[in-house]
Amino acid sequence: MKIRRITTTVEEVHSEGGRPVDPPARVAVVAAVIDNPWAGAGFVEDLAPGIEEVAPELGALLAPRVVEALGAPVEAYGKAAIVGLDGEVEHGSALIHTLRFGDHLRKATGAGTLLPAVEKRAPAGATFDIPLKHITDATIRSHHQTAEARVPDAPRPGEIVVALAVSAQGRPQARLAPLGSEL
Amino acid sequence: MSTVRTIVTHVDEVWAEPGGPRVGPVRRAAAAAVVANPWAGRPVGCDLGAEAPELAARLAVELTGRLLERLGGAAAVAAFGKGAVVGLDGEVEHGAALIHTPYFGNLLREMTGGTSIIAFADDRSAAGSPLTVPLWHKTAAATRSHYQTVQIRVPDAPRPDEIVVVAAAAAGPRPHPRIGDRTTDADVTLEDVKQPV
Repeated sequence: MKIRRITTTVEEVHSEGGRPVDPPARVAVVAAVIDNPWAGAGFVEDLAPGIEEVAPELGALLAPRVVEALGAPVEAYGKAAIVGLDGEVEHGSALIHTLRFGDHLRKATGAGTLLPAVEKRAPAGATFDIPLKHITDATIRSHHQTAEARVPDAPRPGEIVVALAVSAQGRPQARLAPLGSEL
Repeated sequence: MSTVRTIVTHVDEVWAEPGGPRVGPVRRAAAAAVVANPWAGRPVGCDLGAEAPELAARLAVELTGRLLERLGGAAAVAAFGKGAVVGLDGEVEHGAALIHTPYFGNLLREMTGGTSIIAFADDRSAAGSPLTVPLWHKTAAATRSHYQTVQIRVPDAPRPDEIVVVAAAAAGPRPHPRIGDRTTDADVTLEDVKQPV
């Protein structure tokens, strides 16, 4: 795996809707810019060898970093793969949609649910929104939220940006009734 | 007292230039605070003196503290910079009042162990505009290897009546710096390069 850049962003929301948020709501995103393992190889039918080579290493690199950046117990999480213009969306999906990648964050946080994801093909500098859901119960409505991310010079056409996002709480000022309660 | 709505701390690690070998990594950080513009709704040209010191000092300490935490303390800081983005209804001077004052700059210098003048960017922009913040060496501003920038962006700020205030730092020079310095430069004039004036 060839890494060109890693960005870490922590957002603390101290106020929402004009009211204080105490403690501040924390969301962290870590994004790695890597060479697309299948760049220049034409249509590769079997992605498994590339997944095996890259996904576990990437998961092991990003999961502890995003947990450390958050600096608080993780309550919600999500992931992203943004493929450069010369790649297939399937290449990004290959790297993030296997247990080889996602289990690193699940184990680091004591989580059990699926990691919600965004995957798309985009030019360098594109913004992408990472959906987050609760780490043990994806129906907990207060924890449905989104983290926005962007790497100014990535992905280049032969690269992929792979990101993890975590939050220490649900939305600031969350006050929707639980799922199903309005029926 | 202006309240802080959001603080975003961003760390950028360059592991390689495109196609190049593994470096450092080169680490740069920027921290941005979103605050209500204390002078929102006041006429252009109003006095800025009363509000600036308290808010500028508070932001300098909060933001520089986050840079030090992420980069590993003052000893790890090699270069620094600052910036302000004023929301669409404000004066650029409002942002300047918060960063171009000893209540901001002196504290940023003191906390990072710097002595240089601090490079800066200021602007008025819509929410979500990226700001590219220049960085200079913290004790020798003309050190060319340390001329670099870090980009930061807060997706939903500044609102028209807010200001985004930024402190930034780098832990080292650019990757592969190799353009010499003032000591190695030729003394170039228009005559030497035969350019018409």
